[in-house]
Amino acid sequence: MEWLEIFDISLFRSLIRSATPIALIGFGAAMCSASGVLNIGLEGKMLNAAFVGIAASYYSGSALTGFIWGVSAGVLTAILFGVLSFNLGADEVLVGLAINIFSIAGTRYLLETLFKRRGFFSDPSIQGIDPINFEFLVDTRFEKILSGYTPSIYLVFFLAIVLYLVYYKTRLGTAIRATGENPEAAEDAGINTLRMKWLTVIFSGVLAGIGGTFLSLENMTLFTEGMSAGKGYIGLVASSFGNNTPIGTFGASLFFGLGDAIGIRLQGVYELDSRLILMVPYALTVVVLILIGIRQRIRVRPVPIPEQ
Amino acid sequence: MEKFSFKDVLILFAGTIITIGIAWVLLTVTGFVPREIGKLFFEGAVVGQRNILNTLNIATPYILTSIATVVSFRVGMFNIGINGSMYIGGLYAAWAGYKFTSLGHIPHVSLCIAIAVITGSLWMLLPALLKVYAGVSEIISTIILNFVAVLFVSYMANGPFRADPIAPATPRILETAELKQYFPNSQFNSGFFIAVIIAFLTYFILKKTTFGYELRSGGDGLVGFYPSRYSSYLGIPSDRSAITGMLISGGLGGLAGGIEILGNARYFYQELLFNQGFDGILIAIVGKLEPIGGLIASLFWSALRNGGLFVDYKTEVSREIVVILLSILIFFVSAQKLVSSLERFKFVRKLDAFFTRKIK
Repeated sequence: MEWLEIFDISLFRSLIRSATPIALIGFGAAMCSASGVLNIGLEGKMLNAAFVGIAASYYSGSALTGFIWGVSAGVLTAILFGVLSFNLGADEVLVGLAINIFSIAGTRYLLETLFKRRGFFSDPSIQGIDPINFEFLVDTRFEKILSGYTPSIYLVFFLAIVLYLVYYKTRLGTAIRATGENPEAAEDAGINTLRMKWLTVIFSGVLAGIGGTFLSLENMTLFTEGMSAGKGYIGLVASSFGNNTPIGTFGASLFFGLGDAIGIRLQGVYELDSRLILMVPYALTVVVLILIGIRQRIRVRPVPIPEQ
Repeated sequence: MEKFSFKDVLILFAGTIITIGIAWVLLTVTGFVPREIGKLFFEGAVVGQRNILNTLNIATPYILTSIATVVSFRVGMFNIGINGSMYIGGLYAAWAGYKFTSLGHIPHVSLCIAIAVITGSLWMLLPALLKVYAGVSEIISTIILNFVAVLFVSYMANGPFRADPIAPATPRILETAELKQYFPNSQFNSGFFIAVIIAFLTYFILKKTTFGYELRSGGDGLVGFYPSRYSSYLGIPSDRSAITGMLISGGLGGLAGGIEILGNARYFYQELLFNQGFDGILIAIVGKLEPIGGLIASLFWSALRNGGLFVDYKTEVSREIVVILLSILIFFVSAQKLVSSLERFKFVRKLDAFFTRKIK
């Protein structure tokens, strides 16, 4: 049973690392969906943040500066999304798509213009964000499981709990959910639905920014073209799989992370074609979509069409 | 969608001016002379037989993908997966192109194209069924399938369909499967005519036939852009038209990929990059989701693209600048409130009324 050997601590660590960007996007997407915004543009926000983060780190030589600029890029893209779809009446999906296309081309353009590179950019002077090692865990059995991750990974666990509390236990959470479920009733109850939407979109921009810098400054210290590789969309699926709740989204992200991690490990064991391994997260997403479909089919009875 | 109005043209015009302004600034900041770049750009797009032919050749997949978008959006389905269909259709067109020997020219080309259309359309079956029968957003499922398609064709070109031991590519397609290239200095081929015919055919079917009406009515009850069950109330099965529309859309995407292979590349290789599926969505929106609008917008778009390639080739300016500028233009065009705010001006209202009367 050699395949059982892959279930060890390094698989767990790789699972957590793969799940982190998906969960970050997923939390943002869940909040947006809860307030009734379909935020397709998260992919572009993430990509922009990844690039701006690495560029800022390269020019300043400081990981923190890179992080701050990266997150700002995510937020700025979110503001662009908000202005176009809330203030100027553009369709959310179209704006999201246009932002994604804009971001792919924009980062590639800047890559060629600023760094004269095509494809990817990596440089020794880029400062990555270092992992955190907990002193008190050294030489305990928890060291390998809990210590030595980069900050965003701890943030994800923290967010899962905080968002759960906000979502269910505060007025704000109720207001956000009301905005998505029944905007008219929410308005009648004195909730400023537009403000709620703005709030969730900006929040998702922050998280997409953190997710982007996670890719380019924490997980690795390099930028490759289109390095978000659909994680923005997978995050959307994760939030949808998790019923747009924080804990559900987190669970779905771990599931995606597990699939990713197993795929990577199996490649080492069986020497599989790398393309098939790369396909695992997407194939898994399709499977999850089918599962969501079955679940909705069971739960929701179609509304009968009235006779003429 | 409503008809083209003067407002739309005005906003397109204003957006273009602003976009050109942004380009001017961008080029100046990066140390180029905008006037010279602009001249090169124009030359690359439409000056001389070779450049014009290349522009038309580049337009072929854009026409097809934008019409694929038109069809799917018109039935109320947001098909973002046209790029995936392109890859699948292209791969299997290449396969059919070298696999079937001893066929005549016309049967072989027809067979390849049919296979491209069928495979491309089957690729869209799952999202369509998921949407209609289980309410899973087709936006997300089609986007994810794009990623699956890219990796799948790359795997196939590397594994089962690989012929060349050095480069991961399929064998070259047979001469009988080639779409004819008419000029020695350009890859312009008969695929362009297929695309144009498809554009007019789609216009005719959508506007003049019962089938087209049924298709459209699935999406005409769109609230904003989202499908509603409006047509069900009229006794038209919107579910069926949604699935049909999605399959047609995928088939057109497959056709676009097939023509790229049969007319231009002549074999499928791993690094082959299709982006036209995504651009097709933006083009279709500029064309107001009309087949003929899509055709015109595609020609416009490919002229810009070709100009961009020419500039990229002649200077250090990155070709991506074109896509950046076009997506900025999309931001303007899609901003509905910006468009309707133009009604504040009296001359816009007057001209609007004038042109509407002309069309009627």
